[in-house]
Amino acid sequence: MKKHTLLTKLAASVLAAAVLTLSFAGTAHAEELPYDTYNYDYRENFVLTPAAYVPNGSVTGQSVGTTDFTEPQDLCVADDGLIYVADTKNNRIVVLNDAMTETVRVIDGFDNNGQADTFNQPYGVCVSESGYLYVADSMNKRIVMLTPEGEFVKIIDNPQSEILEEGFDFIPIKVTVDYADRVYVISRNAFEGILVFESDGSFTGYFGTIEVKITLWEKFWRRIATKEERSKQQLYIPTEFTGMDVDADGFIYATNIDSDGVQAVRRLNPQGKDVIQKGENENVGGDIRIGTYGDYSGPSEITDVVYRDKGIYSMLDRKRGRIFTYDKEGNLLYIFGGIGSQEGTFTTPVAIEIIGDQIIVLDAYYGTIMKFAATEYGSLINTAVGLRYDGDEKEAIDIWKQVLKIDENNELANNGIGKAYLTAGENKTAMKYLELGMNRKYYSVAWKRYRNEILTENMNFILTAVLVLIGINFVYKRFIKKKKSSEEGGLL
Amino acid sequence: MKELFSKEKWKYAFYTVSHPSDGYYEIRHRERGSVAVAIVLVILFSLSFSINRISASFIVNDVDPLDVDALTELVAVLLLFALFCVGNWSITCLMEGEGRLKDIAIAFGYGMIPMIVCFNLGTVVSQFVAQNEEAFYYMIIGVGIAYGLFMILIGIMQVHNYTLGKTLITIFLTFIAMFIIIFIVLLFVDLINQVYGFFFSIYQELIFRM
Repeated sequence: MKKHTLLTKLAASVLAAAVLTLSFAGTAHAEELPYDTYNYDYRENFVLTPAAYVPNGSVTGQSVGTTDFTEPQDLCVADDGLIYVADTKNNRIVVLNDAMTETVRVIDGFDNNGQADTFNQPYGVCVSESGYLYVADSMNKRIVMLTPEGEFVKIIDNPQSEILEEGFDFIPIKVTVDYADRVYVISRNAFEGILVFESDGSFTGYFGTIEVKITLWEKFWRRIATKEERSKQQLYIPTEFTGMDVDADGFIYATNIDSDGVQAVRRLNPQGKDVIQKGENENVGGDIRIGTYGDYSGPSEITDVVYRDKGIYSMLDRKRGRIFTYDKEGNLLYIFGGIGSQEGTFTTPVAIEIIGDQIIVLDAYYGTIMKFAATEYGSLINTAVGLRYDGDEKEAIDIWKQVLKIDENNELANNGIGKAYLTAGENKTAMKYLELGMNRKYYSVAWKRYRNEILTENMNFILTAVLVLIGINFVYKRFIKKKKSSEEGGLL
Repeated sequence: MKELFSKEKWKYAFYTVSHPSDGYYEIRHRERGSVAVAIVLVILFSLSFSINRISASFIVNDVDPLDVDALTELVAVLLLFALFCVGNWSITCLMEGEGRLKDIAIAFGYGMIPMIVCFNLGTVVSQFVAQNEEAFYYMIIGVGIAYGLFMILIGIMQVHNYTLGKTLITIFLTFIAMFIIIFIVLLFVDLINQVYGFFFSIYQELIFRM
């Protein structure tokens, strides 16, 4: 008998251990991620959230059946799903199939009117809506336009204009093309903005110049400085653009490195004016809380942006390897990614693109393309934001509620639900969610309506109460007080 | 104790609110005020302030509830109260003020009454206002603070038998005195620390060698 109990105990403990390890294996998944997913709340506090995107494999030159990439600098996903990689130091463009499993073709040269021509450090690559391939052939100082198969079409080079300063060196590093086949080029050391070329290749001017901000304090110091000191001070020149993308309306999203960390991306309309929307915290510059010393201090250095669907865009920080995703209104949706050597982290991230719901990031140092797949959390947010973009706030409620099940404190979700309830006329519920979403403006609207509701419902009661009070007062003054005074009089 | 908290004293505190000039005069010359009541009023003010910060409506309240600690705020308010009284007393002693430390404490403490009333009233009113009506709330709070400061000013003026100009000058000097007191206290704490460190290292040295 005694032996039996010992045996059962043993068996039970083994079983318990097995169950424990199994359940650990089940829950440990999220902790295996090499980076945190987080966001900033209303008070700009750092808040960890569930993972929005998880690493989903990586692609190297060898894995797609060609030699390894050497410092590739740009990626482009064409409308037909093919992926173009600017393999900069190998002087070639590699075209991958849509699943990124094999190489479709390698373009390392072209037939330039009967002469064999090659690239010299192609930095940027872009495929236009009409299907042509544009290559920013940086060291050859030209943009090469090819058919997707690699047949030569034309060359854009040597821009001529009065506005260009003398000895201007045209070193194109990023190129993008809009629906009208206008070519937008970021050239190294062109601080005046993005160079725009018409479809026939003529230079039309600069676009989206970033204005230099000089504070009053800096002005004051410049005034009292001597000429010699002034020449030693740094020049106040605008920052260069770092990456571009075209959205569905033909507006250009362009990133730059902002030393204040406030605005790292611009949405440029056809006149070159910035029309980006900023959220509650007036910040589209990446990280809000930043360290002041050490390797990872300072504002984010945004190096590329990709326009996604429904007003959502993601941008890539090369300093801390993070990917920031914003909606059309400038609200941060989720932040993830990091610097490191594990799969899913980067050393020198340079370009970001999307394939459907999947984010791909190009790492120049290792020459790899990292793939990230949306988790349930990430795709729910994407869908809900998309529904709101389309104006289907009611439909979005269910999806936001699912988001809340995963991440209870998601302010965007609370806000979305609150606004939808407000339009549906359920003011009290709306108030609850809007307060959780820290939306003072809409909370106030909901409260005002709710207050009116209460007042109209209870108006009869309130008016009766007032009448009764007046009556009691009257009776008291007329009879009881009189009686008292007459009693006092009687006593005297 | 009973005398300090008598009904008479409490009633007189409210009389002072409606008649600051006469009220403070009698406090100085006929012992109608009570320091205990004044201290209780300062504590009440600190509590009303914390309550306002934590439970005023979301519409007018941008304070992170996690930042509010009623106890720290109470200690801070009491310290400021003590610092102000001592600072003002040390200045007015040199400037022919007639008030005693007791009178200054009462002048300051009774000045809290409008603030206590208005902060609590504001907290209640804030529950009923919407965003474009928040002016009501801010008006109530503003009136409370303004009347409280006015009472303290009149109080200081009366208990020392000063003119308005001289009162303003002494209040300005009081703030300087408060800074000097803080400076000296910090200096003293630092000195004590160093002395303690010195003896502690001697002790350690002895322990290691024995």
